[in-house]
Amino acid sequence: MEQRLANCWRLTVNEKKFIESALLSDVRVDGRGPLDYRKLNIKFGKNDGSAEVQLGETRVMSYVSAQLVQPYRDRPNEGTLSIFTEFSPMADPSFEPGRPGESAVELGRIIDRGLRESRAIDTESLCILSAKLVWAIRVDIHILDNAGNLVDAANIAALASLLTFRRPECSLGGEDGQQVVVHPPEVREPLPLIIHHLPVAVTFGYFSNENLVVLDPTYHEEAVMTGRMTATLNANGDVCAIQKPGGQEISHRVIMHCLRLAHVKAGDMTAKIKDAVEKHNTERALQKIKRHSSSVAVDVCGTTASLGGKQNQSDGDKEGSRLDQLKLKDETKSMECDATSSAQVQSNKKDGSSKNFVGGPSSWDPYSDCVNSDLLKASLASRGHSTPSKKKDSRRETKPEEPQNEVKIDSAPMDTALTSGQSNEGKTLKDAVKPKHKRKKKKGSSNNAN
Amino acid sequence: MESKLSGSATNLVDQLVYPGDVVLDLSSMTNQTIKLGGGLRQDSDVISVMKAGRLRFSKPNKYWVESSQKRYVPHAEDSVLGIVVDSRSDNFLVDIKGPAIAFLPVLAFEGGTRRNIPKFEVGALLYVRVVKANPGMNPELSCTDASGKAGEFGALKEGYMFECSTGLSRMLLSSPTCPVLDTLGKKLSFEIAVGLNGRVWVNASSPSTTIIVANALINSEPLSGVQQKIMAEKLLQRVQ
Repeated sequence: MEQRLANCWRLTVNEKKFIESALLSDVRVDGRGPLDYRKLNIKFGKNDGSAEVQLGETRVMSYVSAQLVQPYRDRPNEGTLSIFTEFSPMADPSFEPGRPGESAVELGRIIDRGLRESRAIDTESLCILSAKLVWAIRVDIHILDNAGNLVDAANIAALASLLTFRRPECSLGGEDGQQVVVHPPEVREPLPLIIHHLPVAVTFGYFSNENLVVLDPTYHEEAVMTGRMTATLNANGDVCAIQKPGGQEISHRVIMHCLRLAHVKAGDMTAKIKDAVEKHNTERALQKIKRHSSSVAVDVCGTTASLGGKQNQSDGDKEGSRLDQLKLKDETKSMECDATSSAQVQSNKKDGSSKNFVGGPSSWDPYSDCVNSDLLKASLASRGHSTPSKKKDSRRETKPEEPQNEVKIDSAPMDTALTSGQSNEGKTLKDAVKPKHKRKKKKGSSNNAN
Repeated sequence: MESKLSGSATNLVDQLVYPGDVVLDLSSMTNQTIKLGGGLRQDSDVISVMKAGRLRFSKPNKYWVESSQKRYVPHAEDSVLGIVVDSRSDNFLVDIKGPAIAFLPVLAFEGGTRRNIPKFEVGALLYVRVVKANPGMNPELSCTDASGKAGEFGALKEGYMFECSTGLSRMLLSSPTCPVLDTLGKKLSFEIAVGLNGRVWVNASSPSTTIIVANALINSEPLSGVQQKIMAEKLLQRVQ
């Protein structure tokens, strides 16, 4: 019994008194002001969808993965999102391995509620075959080091990893369009998730005097504080979730004040997360591996050179696929980094411009024209806005169109894609899903042209 | 390895040594008594290193290896900061960051009798001396020095305590005074109690002074003497 007592951190009476009395003079033990966050550092791993966040000394890692499953009966058209937390014993001596403790479950629930109830992740776009196959997105959060305020750090990690996650592209095939083909990332650029907004969690700590409020409490402050509240808001000021697990009573005036503070902090945090993700994406784009296209001299006029084996494509860049959001008539395998201007991208996106697709020169050199990073950036930036709306329209697109497209694709004038600066992956479910009225026309027209 | 062999090991004192290094060749020294401290071991004719760290020597014949870690291994005659965990009829249970909880007999105070047993609440911070520390047993503490006087031992009131590595504690206790304490002491008035177990208590008249001192000490660990001075001066300038 005495042996067990030896290994945990203890709070002294001196520390408790000191932390509270220091707060009365508006100073915190690490020198911060009561409303300052600690230094935030977001790092990304080599895999898509893996992020590590360091908030002061607190470290949290998050990993996103996806699996095809059957949807729930009552939501046949939606994919699912689930959050799992793992409180590793190396983070804190009080964490025990095995079943998640109360705080682990609570942390998972706060993050889950913030993402799910505010519908931050678009789950309808995760549906492949209604009532049969949908994507189940799973976010695993690992706590690596507990130095206080795990909720905020874990939330940021979850958001960062969801923003950089890419899921494989699927297409429907077979005679009745019921067979789903999942394309490996070497063959087709994987797609990002559709995220409408970023719900950021902001945690407040209250001490015995209710007017003493601190943001981002450290480990010691958490041991001393008497009440806690986590507010999840997005940069627009929408409150996504509030969690107040017992503790000291707080008047509504203080709560409103805290929500206002949280709004400001959420804006800051969103900007930081987006910056970090953007930097990561640009780096990723720059490291793209070139994909070789097996069909070299392809006539735009639809020579059905069956690129059957997409496998011929060498590892394309998984990175460049941001552009896949742009309508592609065909999949271009070679996403190179320099490309057309972003303006073009924008316009392309908007009119689903296949009009830029013109019968390409048969002596197309895959390495001369490339997609450039500006393009990628622009697409990434604008994609957030334009794609969702497009998605809505495109739902009405006919799925049956897919099979035809499949056939067409291959021949696809990759060069055209290139010249238009569009990125690859034309035909996939995504296309069917995206608003491709124009695409359809274009396809029609190009078919006619052929 | 051969080059490290030396009769007197003077070239290795105060150097970084690693497990397996041979620091003394006994065959060349006769009729000498050498005392070995932690981290060294005798292997028939040679003394070899067991723990990575710096080799230290103190006259006339003591050698040991010093390294800095977060864990504390209790040794006799160390002054440490302990936190009261529980009180029993005959001793207090005090946590000193070691592998086992230490016992502080209720009578181990100056003028301590059964009538005037001090009352410590759970979480009280004490400055105590380790009397006995045998491996596998709970260490024994005392609030008096070897002669029975209280000295500075006892409960520490107010102030703020932070934890650090054993290396930082030793540096803060070294003489001459380490540069960071010197520089801070010139401008601020504060008192500190340093425990060899990696706990430091700071007290000053205002909370902000305490916080400045505590942060300066924590940040001074990886710095050299000159860097410490510069860091402390910059901090003081920023504050005043």
